[in-house]
Amino acid sequence: MDSDDELAACLRDGDEKALRAAYDRYGAAVLYLAQRMLSSRADAEDVVQLTFVAAWTGRDGYDPRRGTLLAWLLGIARRKAIDRMRSAARDDRLTGIVRAQPVPQQEAERPEGIVDRLVVADELGRLPAEQRRTLQLAFFDDLTHPQIAAVTGLPLGTVKSHIRRGMASLRQRWEVDGAASGSRSTGSSRIR
Amino acid sequence: MQHLDPDRLVLLAFAEEPGNDDETVHLARCPGCRHDLASLRQVAEIGAQGPAASDLPAPPERIWLTIEAAIADSGRSPAPVRRAGRQKRRWLIAVAAVVLAVAGTVVADRIVRRAPAETVIARATLAPLATVTAQASGSVRVLSDGEMRVEVHHLPLTAGFHEVWLIDPDDLTRMVAIGNLPDRPGAVLPVPPGIDMNRYRLVDISDEPNDGDATHSGRSLLRGTLTN
Ligand SMILES: [Zn+2]
Repeated sequence: MDSDDELAACLRDGDEKALRAAYDRYGAAVLYLAQRMLSSRADAEDVVQLTFVAAWTGRDGYDPRRGTLLAWLLGIARRKAIDRMRSAARDDRLTGIVRAQPVPQQEAERPEGIVDRLVVADELGRLPAEQRRTLQLAFFDDLTHPQIAAVTGLPLGTVKSHIRRGMASLRQRWEVDGAASGSRSTGSSRIR
Repeated sequence: MQHLDPDRLVLLAFAEEPGNDDETVHLARCPGCRHDLASLRQVAEIGAQGPAASDLPAPPERIWLTIEAAIADSGRSPAPVRRAGRQKRRWLIAVAAVVLAVAGTVVADRIVRRAPAETVIARATLAPLATVTAQASGSVRVLSDGEMRVEVHHLPLTAGFHEVWLIDPDDLTRMVAIGNLPDRPGAVLPVPPGIDMNRYRLVDISDEPNDGDATHSGRSLLRGTLTN
């Protein structure tokens, strides 16, 4: 069950261990999305539960040709979180409860943006180690290519090719799996 | 037409170098390269926002336990125990309807007038949790007028206060705060109108510190389930 494809195949076969493996692999991303969409931690945890239960009962509906398992799970989670927001608003109106908000409501990020970030982060995690390290230095440490070469001791040409290939993988994954993939124009990439 | 070199596009996307004149002219003319550059810029931006996948905190194991339980439940054909429970719940829905009615619609008013105010529509015997002295006890009666009468005995002293909750036993994270207990054995608290008491049927009395945090402290003292 190492690869996503194997995992998805086992899941479709009704192997409960595959669901556990999917939870171990993607539960954190699902919780991250839910937590950012809902102000209550309890609600976010509910959404994680609902998502994996729905993934289990709806496992026949997952089509690997239309996106990765992570993207599918995040799509379910997004819908569950929206349902939860609506029903929470309805419950509050009915009961007149003012919900305790442990976290002050920040400026809400669109769920599509959160999904994009999770999908790209996941792909980054799948890159070969040297490519990933190089891109992380560019993303998170804001280093230029020559600085990355100096830090890593890699030749500048290698740094450039790592970044080009890494970016091509991230871009492809984002175009396939990003939340707005349906509406986004996916001009074929010439970058190989 | 000579398109921009992929390495150059990446550098431009990271804004590491400004485009030279030839590149600028080409970009102005070539939708393909413009699209590639825009995509790469977006990906670089999204990637830099993170999170780093390794930094995502793993979800707590208790969530998995609820998933497992739900799956086990859905796999079985309807269990007889559950069905028995459902009948009672149907009755409790009626309770909820009455409580809801008290909220003040005309129809509700009529129902309440027909039923004597003192009619007990649900009750619970409260038992101490394992960590609490066995002497502690309590009882709860919900009246048809939407009042909840709470009686407690031998509750452990608290540095803060005792609070009454209605909890959904099927999902212990869902609860409604009913009110605080005064410093005497008996209290009358209004049940907020519209509470689904078929769902929120577990009565819980907790020890709450005076810390301004409105959520449940996690220190439950007494619990009991509302029944007719
Ligand atoms: Zn071009």
